[in-house]
Amino acid sequence: MIEFRNVSKSFDKKIVLNDISFKINKNEIVSILGTSGAGKSTLINCINGLVAPDEGDVIVDGLSVSNKNEINEIRKKCSTVFQSFNLYPHLSILQNITLAPMKVLKYKKDKAEKEALALLEKVDLQSHANAFPASLSGGEKQRAGICRALAMSPDYLLLDEITSSLDPELTAEIMRVLNALADEGITMILVTHEIGLAKKISSRIVFLESGRILADKPKDVFFSDAFGEENARIKDFLARSEGL
Amino acid sequence: MYGENTFTHYDVLLWLVGLKATLSMFFLSSILGCLLGTVFGLIRYYRVAVLAPIVFSLGEVLKNSPVIVQLFLIYFGVPMYFDVILTPFEAAAIVLSANTTAFIAVICVASLESVDKGQVATARSFAMKETDILVHVLFPQALVVAAPLVVGILVNQIQVTSLISIIGVIDLTQVGHILNQRTFEPFIVWPVIGVTYFVLSGTISYMGTRVEKKFRIPE
Repeated sequence: MIEFRNVSKSFDKKIVLNDISFKINKNEIVSILGTSGAGKSTLINCINGLVAPDEGDVIVDGLSVSNKNEINEIRKKCSTVFQSFNLYPHLSILQNITLAPMKVLKYKKDKAEKEALALLEKVDLQSHANAFPASLSGGEKQRAGICRALAMSPDYLLLDEITSSLDPELTAEIMRVLNALADEGITMILVTHEIGLAKKISSRIVFLESGRILADKPKDVFFSDAFGEENARIKDFLARSEGL
Repeated sequence: MYGENTFTHYDVLLWLVGLKATLSMFFLSSILGCLLGTVFGLIRYYRVAVLAPIVFSLGEVLKNSPVIVQLFLIYFGVPMYFDVILTPFEAAAIVLSANTTAFIAVICVASLESVDKGQVATARSFAMKETDILVHVLFPQALVVAAPLVVGILVNQIQVTSLISIIGVIDLTQVGHILNQRTFEPFIVWPVIGVTYFVLSGTISYMGTRVEKKFRIPE
């Protein structure tokens, strides 16, 4: 379980997260929705320890992100896929995927490569194993990024706006991959502005605005007409997002 | 009379002595300078407490003062105050190594900082240790940026070594002085010395370009 306990974070006196408290259970797929600057990416980066909360704590399976001795154990449990791919440009796709398993999980090269190739096959990238990131399209890079995250056999998959840099066709590619992952029962926390993606694969929606949680509901409730009627702000956000 | 003391075949041996001194000084100061400069650069990049400001200040002094002044200070000053005897070669090696260290440290910091911060964040998010991040993520990418700059430093270094003649090292430039004073043929002596430096610099530049290509990120 991932638990946010009264987490607050500011950057240069601007409050980005304001007293956030909520939990994410295993096997849930939680989409974090919200306007730009709502604090979505900061929230996800508080889980993997890339951002340290100013107040409060994030507990992942009993481990605290505030404890320097536990942060790497948390990072082994949580793999992140980034909006801007962040593939290592000097390494082949196969090397990108096997680097962390070999260095962190101490896999032998053979085992790491075997598992990496299996992951690449799942996302239809096996022919690009020895290619370098510069020669791949955006969709291919993001699929490689997903494989790199999955290679660590994480308990939680953190996905930070992974379709933002992609055109609709490539976005559809990624959505197919995420659908497949959802069917496998992987716990995912997905920061996205793709309402369609959130509707399709999430079990729960958390809506952030100005650093606060405005709504935290099961998907069916969140997208129901009745809920929209009671929450003008969310209704307005959904209407604008779906109108794009 | 001019031209009475003509060149002999022993002058070729003298030229080789000078060449040996120049190349020895170049390799010694370059290798030491690159190694120490990298260490200093890492200290500054990781903002190691206490050491980082010291290394920065030292680097600024070394970069912003003339090499010739540093040579005089070390060669004449150190024996006076510290009861240590330094040969001209040793004094020159200390100064040129320290000078190279200062410039390599700056290149090291700049090239490490040029690597996209997202790369480091990604590696950290996968629980990679800082040493693994440095070796497998940062250095390979930083080398692409640093390589041409380091080659430039090395090309310049072979020419900077000519200053060591001022404290009596028998390098190529000192050989030029000796031959010129004996033969009074400056338009033969100095072009030969100049061409020697040109060939050395050109060789370093050519080899450096080939090494740079190896570090390039594949597309």
